[in-house]
Amino acid sequence: MFVLAFFLLLLLFLLSGYGILHLFRLRLKTAYTITLSLLLGVALASFLPFLLQLLYIQLTAFTIFGSLVLAAVLLNIPVWLSVRKEGFAAFRRSLFPRRFQILSYEIPFLMILGFMVFVSIWRCYYLPPTSRDALSGPEAIAEIAVREHTLINSFFNVDLWSTNNQFKSPFLISLQLIFKLAGFPFGQIWLSIVFVSFTVFLYNALREKCHPLIAGVLMLIFFMTPEMYAYTFMILYDYSNMVYMFLGLYFLFRYFSAGGRTAEGQSSEMGARGLHLAEARVGPSAGDSPGDNRTANFYFAGLLIGIATYIRSETLALALLFLPPILLAQRREKLSLKKAALANILFFLPSLAGYYLTTQLYLKHYLPVHYDVGGLVNDHLTNLSPLFQRYSDIFTRLLTGEFAIHLWGYIFYLTAALFVAEALFVRRFNRDARNWLYALAALYLGLGALGWLLPMMNLNETTKRAMFKMLPVAILYLANNELLLRLSRAITRWENTPWSLGSGGGSPGKPVLAARTVLTKSGKTVAVGGTQANTRKVVPAAGRGKRKK
Amino acid sequence: MKGFLLTLVAFAAIFIVLNAGYYGDWFQSKPAQYWTDFLKEKDDTLDQVGIMKQRYGVIYTICLKVKDIAAKKKVAHPVILFEPNSYYRDSLHIYATFHAPEPAVFYYYTGLEGVWTNSPNVNKANFLLRISKKGVSLDEIKNPQQLQQILNTYKKYPPTL
Repeated sequence: MFVLAFFLLLLLFLLSGYGILHLFRLRLKTAYTITLSLLLGVALASFLPFLLQLLYIQLTAFTIFGSLVLAAVLLNIPVWLSVRKEGFAAFRRSLFPRRFQILSYEIPFLMILGFMVFVSIWRCYYLPPTSRDALSGPEAIAEIAVREHTLINSFFNVDLWSTNNQFKSPFLISLQLIFKLAGFPFGQIWLSIVFVSFTVFLYNALREKCHPLIAGVLMLIFFMTPEMYAYTFMILYDYSNMVYMFLGLYFLFRYFSAGGRTAEGQSSEMGARGLHLAEARVGPSAGDSPGDNRTANFYFAGLLIGIATYIRSETLALALLFLPPILLAQRREKLSLKKAALANILFFLPSLAGYYLTTQLYLKHYLPVHYDVGGLVNDHLTNLSPLFQRYSDIFTRLLTGEFAIHLWGYIFYLTAALFVAEALFVRRFNRDARNWLYALAALYLGLGALGWLLPMMNLNETTKRAMFKMLPVAILYLANNELLLRLSRAITRWENTPWSLGSGGGSPGKPVLAARTVLTKSGKTVAVGGTQANTRKVVPAAGRGKRKK
Repeated sequence: MKGFLLTLVAFAAIFIVLNAGYYGDWFQSKPAQYWTDFLKEKDDTLDQVGIMKQRYGVIYTICLKVKDIAAKKKVAHPVILFEPNSYYRDSLHIYATFHAPEPAVFYYYTGLEGVWTNSPNVNKANFLLRISKKGVSLDEIKNPQQLQQILNTYKKYPPTL
């Protein structure tokens, strides 16, 4: 029975998330469409019980599942209209623009990642929530809400002196409530949906940038971060916050990339045989309208960062750190002041709403126990030494040293080593690498500043978990590291070069007839030599005209 | 052939990463151990409470026992007073094994109200949960004087997590 309930919920998430995604008119490849739809569906589901609570509607199975169904139906009206207009065949083509392909050397990575995903899902399903922060707040509230049909329940009559977890975002409570009502006694399994969706998205994002072999290694290193892996089956806010924040940055950087190198990756299956790496990266995708997609990327990024803020309110401060590069991009685009201001208001609106609804409206006007967020702010702001101490502590205790290795494995060491190598040997960073490096620096500075502003945000717990956000950012920087890109190109070139006697391979009895694809200095790929029969034709995707320099 | 060679490289890369320094220790003690756990758990016939007992350990079992005893005593509104954790740590030295749950967590476990010695509602306490090396007992608090006496006993032990 619960399997059926799970698949029905999954379907609802997929449909409602797709409805939201469709509003942005982003043309994405199938893996992105499905994973983003699920993630948006989970985010919406986490908001609906909270919204019902704000409207003083009882939280029963009928009202909650009814609202989920209603949201899925309403959000899919534009989809339905578009299918009617363009025809079902066109709609199906837009969903599945290219054939799904897995290469043989991806299989070992998929096996080991699949193993770790399976173990995580099992623990999510089988074991009850364990973290103290969940048990002394959201999990308890959700459990009682199942019986009392309200988030503002008898839990608040208990002595809550030792905890402030009851004041945290309703994100967790709502999702726990939905899954408990669906028959999962421990809830939690929504976290596996977030985990799997994000994993698939990230792997595809990496595969788009580098050779699948490199993407596989990077993905494995990302998985082998002990602390973060634990939070793929321990419900709390930080893993989900990391996911939505990262996705926000991903689409923001797409926007910065001015219509090129699209996530609308019809173009960019890096592993696809015969498709050259450099070529696959360049130029807008076939049939894209770069201008439209670019703006959509921007607002979609705003929505995703808004969701991250809804999950953890202090994300708003981190989001603001991305205003300077946004302004710079708008200046480059010669956007008028009025238009830029309007665009930025719309960009930050979801974040402001996520912040206001959870920390102002709900805490101050709904909960019976009040929480003065203002009272938590450091009142010695002129004393900057704790700020520098915090930066120093983050570096010496959380980023380097034995404890850091136990938390994150070697991911930050690898990032630092390849950063230094790139600086020394390449002496320049490409635009994407610069963007991700900026994000890393902004997160480091922002988290340090938050720890100084809010002394409650302790180093070993809150800051540590907030640093999850740096992990996928570091991985994306690595995927854009020029040295790894060169290695990727070298592997692809070698892979695309047929065996020949000269290159030490091939069948001795057969003459070498195959063409070689060669990367020219201008970044184009040309086929050289060979006969018609054996030449692998490398066709640039339509619209890939210019290579950005 | 090249695909095959790259597959071998992929296996080698995975082997290297899984055995590199701390990764090796962690992989064995966590994901690999979780797999071993899974092989046992998949055949378990434990119900929800059984799984929770296994996961939350002895404290959860104690809390359920408290709930049972309180139900048997038929007290309309039992409020359980917990000894401070600093008392377990500094005086009895049993904190590694036993600790008093937070009132919020106790409510989640049992649906009963619990208080710490510094709680604003401490005067409502009508039971005291005592944990020692010898065992666990739930003593009734019969009057405010007795409660005050108990609180004085624990005065030098501030409540902590």
